[in-house]
Amino acid sequence: MYLSLRGITKSFDGVKALAGVSLDIEEGEFVCFLGPSGCGKTTLLRIIAGLETPDAAEIRFAGRDLTDIPARERNFGIVFQSYSLFPNMTVARNIAYGLECRKWRREDIPGRVISMLALVNLSDQAAKFPHQLSGGQQQRVALARALAPRPAVLLLDEPLSALDAKVREDLRAEIKDLQSRLRITTIMVTHDQHEAMEVADRIVVMDRGRIEQIGRPVELYERPANRFVAGFLGRMNLVRDVHGHALAGIRPEHVELCAGSEAPHERRTGRVSRSVFLGSITRVTLSVDGQDLTLEVQGRRDDLAPGAEIAVRIPARALVRLDDGLP
Amino acid sequence: MTATVPARPSPAPARGFDTDRLAVWGLAAAVVVPLLLFVALPLFAILRTSFITPEGDIGLANYAREFASPKFSRIVANSFAVSLTTTAITVVMAYLFAYALKRTAMPFKRTCGAIALLPLYAPSLVQALGILFLFGRNGIVNRTFDLDIDIYGFWGIVIADVLYSFPHAFLILSAALAVGDARLYESARMLGAGSARIFRTITLPSTRFGILSAIFVVFTIVITDFGNPMVIGADYTVLATEIYNQVSGQGRMELGAVIGVVLLVPAAIAVIVERMIMRGNQASITDGSQPLSIGRNARRDRVALAYAAVVCLAIASIVAIVFVASFVTLWPYNMHLSFRHYRFEVQNGIAPLWTSVVVSLMAAVVGVVATVSAACVSRWLKPLHAQALYFMSVLPAAVPGMVLGLGYILVFNDPANPLEFLYGTLAILAICNVYHYHAQGYLIASTSVGQVSRVFDETSTCLGAGMLRTLRSVILPIVAPSIASIAVFYFVRSMVTLSAVIFLVTPATQLAAVSVLLLDDSGNQNQAAAFSVCIMLIVAAALGLFHGLAGLRARRRAQRPAG
Repeated sequence: MYLSLRGITKSFDGVKALAGVSLDIEEGEFVCFLGPSGCGKTTLLRIIAGLETPDAAEIRFAGRDLTDIPARERNFGIVFQSYSLFPNMTVARNIAYGLECRKWRREDIPGRVISMLALVNLSDQAAKFPHQLSGGQQQRVALARALAPRPAVLLLDEPLSALDAKVREDLRAEIKDLQSRLRITTIMVTHDQHEAMEVADRIVVMDRGRIEQIGRPVELYERPANRFVAGFLGRMNLVRDVHGHALAGIRPEHVELCAGSEAPHERRTGRVSRSVFLGSITRVTLSVDGQDLTLEVQGRRDDLAPGAEIAVRIPARALVRLDDGLP
Repeated sequence: MTATVPARPSPAPARGFDTDRLAVWGLAAAVVVPLLLFVALPLFAILRTSFITPEGDIGLANYAREFASPKFSRIVANSFAVSLTTTAITVVMAYLFAYALKRTAMPFKRTCGAIALLPLYAPSLVQALGILFLFGRNGIVNRTFDLDIDIYGFWGIVIADVLYSFPHAFLILSAALAVGDARLYESARMLGAGSARIFRTITLPSTRFGILSAIFVVFTIVITDFGNPMVIGADYTVLATEIYNQVSGQGRMELGAVIGVVLLVPAAIAVIVERMIMRGNQASITDGSQPLSIGRNARRDRVALAYAAVVCLAIASIVAIVFVASFVTLWPYNMHLSFRHYRFEVQNGIAPLWTSVVVSLMAAVVGVVATVSAACVSRWLKPLHAQALYFMSVLPAAVPGMVLGLGYILVFNDPANPLEFLYGTLAILAICNVYHYHAQGYLIASTSVGQVSRVFDETSTCLGAGMLRTLRSVILPIVAPSIASIAVFYFVRSMVTLSAVIFLVTPATQLAAVSVLLLDDSGNQNQAAAFSVCIMLIVAAALGLFHGLAGLRARRRAQRPAG
């Protein structure tokens, strides 16, 4: 295993941030730590970076014990949410900084800086200072700076959270593209499920200092292990299964509007309480037997306005079993 | 590949040899050892000396002798009377002045604010000197109107110290009055509260921390002031001047030390209380607060301007009179223009001025290194260690200059001390200034270092930089502007300070502010004025240079093409 974490535990002032997390990451993989704020995902990343000392841990990297290696000797590249470009240095000096620290030969540095600038499409910005760049440009410089010394692992701590929505989407695609071209092992921390699903080979869903589930985006979406994962990746309607006690879920896009040909026992009727037009889909919430049920239908549907009485069908094959019991 | 692999907890990793930790400890030692040598040791020496009689007995005999003498109780009473009276007058005057500048729409705010700071840039005895030119025995008022006003003593000291401490109180109070939550004032007005009521129920309470802080700061400045009581106090002795009399006049180190301890106690209490107040005063303005907007009110603004003008006139006229007196043949009898007072008939003539410049430059360099290092190393220390370092760094604020200076004699004029070679050098004068004003320099440094986000350190570390490289390449360049302001602060204070260095100067290392005192003491008030003018001109030149360079830098930054 390339990067292997065992029993990572960390408390801050008596509050458990990580409660014995274990995880393996393959070489060249893009892994996302996904979870709400306070779930421990950033702490886990910082422990991998060497910026935080765990209370107990076993961290192995390419067969080597990492626990005692200080951050500056790990050669892991890191990008923070706040860009953190050195304000007193030009773009080129920022990128060269890590190369100087890692004792690259003086004559090799300018060429590497130029090729890194080209990699993030900022070749014409080399002489500028960080405050003269937009947020998106600054974050691309930060990415180039982190990648310049050929790090063994790239660590991204919510790198897109400070950016505007449009820039965020562009840069998200750019990061994914960079990663697949360079084949660099990458760990990204995020609280945004869309971000995680777009870029990650595997997603590690975390909550309250524990890993809830690990898997490919499709696996997590289609077979979430529990309510937390189901609710964090997309929306999930909760329904009682046929036995009445175990919990099952169904995604809003799998709830079907009835055409009228179904057997009566499959039909459920309810009154629309909310209807939101989102462009490509319309999201409708209706009340069925006192419980909320959300469904998503293609396109604009003015007929599903609040107050309308409609019938839906919950196909049994679309039901997902969730581990935890009924509340 | 799952989360359920049983975790085998391993103990927290023991850190091996790490050059960064070595660097932190090295830097910490470079900061702490001088603090121990140049602050803690002199203080300890004062305490020890105060408990040893000239006959060599250890005990409270010195204290018993001092406390029993009626002269001593009178001096303590004098000190408190002067300090409390001055504090009350200064804080009220400075509050009204700051209110006029921050809470009214009067014109000429910038000019008034600048004039209020003038006393910071003159030796402390200049106020007393100016007052004597006006109201002294040979002052212009008594001579012109043939009066017999006796300004020497209590009221002379009070007036001089009010002027001297005014800018300190003004700075604190204008900072307190500059911020305010407009929502509170709007709500009060909507509820029908009148101006007087709003002032009493909102303005005063919301500035209470500033008021308390100003009270303690002014009290400390006045009770430890030496220059003004020396010049205008006549027979009215206070603690600071009594230390000088005992030590320099009679060579009674042990009695000087006893008085030093007596002076240290109220000064230390005042500083500690002030620090506690300021630390507790963090969140009076929250991010939801609305900034104040001040509307025009013709009558209020006129009253404010009139008051500010009177205060500025008083402050500026003292400086102006000293300036004029230095250029006339014989104040106030012969007012013809003359440069004869600039031929200084004092030990070493004009040379002490250049000595002062050299010492001030040394103090600026050493002071910057000491305070910025202390601020930086706190960044990497464990919270408990950082707190200990903070305490040591701000401790000198509680030590009166006279006490520190006496401590330096006791420690460095001792042949048994391997550092005795420092005694009588310019270096000891510079070092004394560095640690006398260490607290103020450190607070500027740690505020600006604290504003540099730790993410920069982490980024730098992950890129492979050691701590020292991060310091050199990232943190220091970012805080460079405030480093420059610390240097200017040290330069200015070292040019004008008198109290600590008075004990340490030798004929070969005479300083300008001491020359002013000696000239005044020998009856050469006009020459003392001329020497003060020279000091003030050099200070003005240094400030002009600093602001000029800062302005140039700001313009250069602004000219960089925007991205």
